[in-house]
Amino acid sequence: MNASYGTPPPSSANEERWSTRVRLDGALPPVWAHCGATADMLGELYARQAARQGGNANEARHGINYLVNELMENAIKFRDAQFDAVEVMALLEDGVFEIRVVNHAAPEVAERFQGILAELTGRDPGELLLERIEANAMGDDAGASGLGILTLMNDYGAQFGWHLVREDAARPVLVSTHASLRL
Amino acid sequence: MEIKTNDYRVWDEGSTIHYEGTMRLSSAEEYAPIQALMAQVLEGKPARVDLDLTGLEFLNSSGINLFAKFTIEIRNRGDVGLGVKGSTRVPWQAKSLPNLKKLFPALDLQIV
Repeated sequence: MNASYGTPPPSSANEERWSTRVRLDGALPPVWAHCGATADMLGELYARQAARQGGNANEARHGINYLVNELMENAIKFRDAQFDAVEVMALLEDGVFEIRVVNHAAPEVAERFQGILAELTGRDPGELLLERIEANAMGDDAGASGLGILTLMNDYGAQFGWHLVREDAARPVLVSTHASLRL
Repeated sequence: MEIKTNDYRVWDEGSTIHYEGTMRLSSAEEYAPIQALMAQVLEGKPARVDLDLTGLEFLNSSGINLFAKFTIEIRNRGDVGLGVKGSTRVPWQAKSLPNLKKLFPALDLQIV
């Protein structure tokens, strides 16, 4: 498997760009409570940077917090049971917050995710958001999938790109989610 | 009725339900007690239910879905009104609460 969806990361993307890195693994495990804790920390750090650059700290804090939390919740929900580390990288440059979340996922989970991504990136997010909410209210649990991403696309104007790759059969699929949010 | 944790508090005063804090629960099942409180207020057959979200600083997508489902339930019932009060001080509310009004145009949405 080697597939990409959505908006590719900037062409200048390289590992040296990221100003913060968080790895949840081992003694600092990828558990639910750490999503909010990481989101709170990154929201606060980058809100201060945004304010120093003339931005609105409250808007920055909340937008970053919601974005980080949603991506981490997704990574933790869908991560592989054995290769379960979650990595988060972030930076703020020229008023745009960027984040990359990396996790492994079992092949069957990654395949289902590909179906969701094809729809998320092929439809108007505002229309799809309301459609999915209505479906979920009717008891269609699949309707709840992607609501966080759709909310970020429609309500926050965030842009997303995904890359899924499985390099060998001994390891699960590596999922990279890249997002950018203009503050 | 009241639900209180270290992170959030939900309580009703008549047919108004107040929410404050941070709600980032992991699933619809975890939100079930809050949903049950909201259902219990509805069972009292009020003319209108009001949701006061002004103190709700952070909410994840599962939480937004909870309010969306409640909005749709009230819309489908047709015999009870719904008011939602948000705050401009809490950025997610001005961004995402208007979707509730798209789901239910008769919703009285106030973001103050």
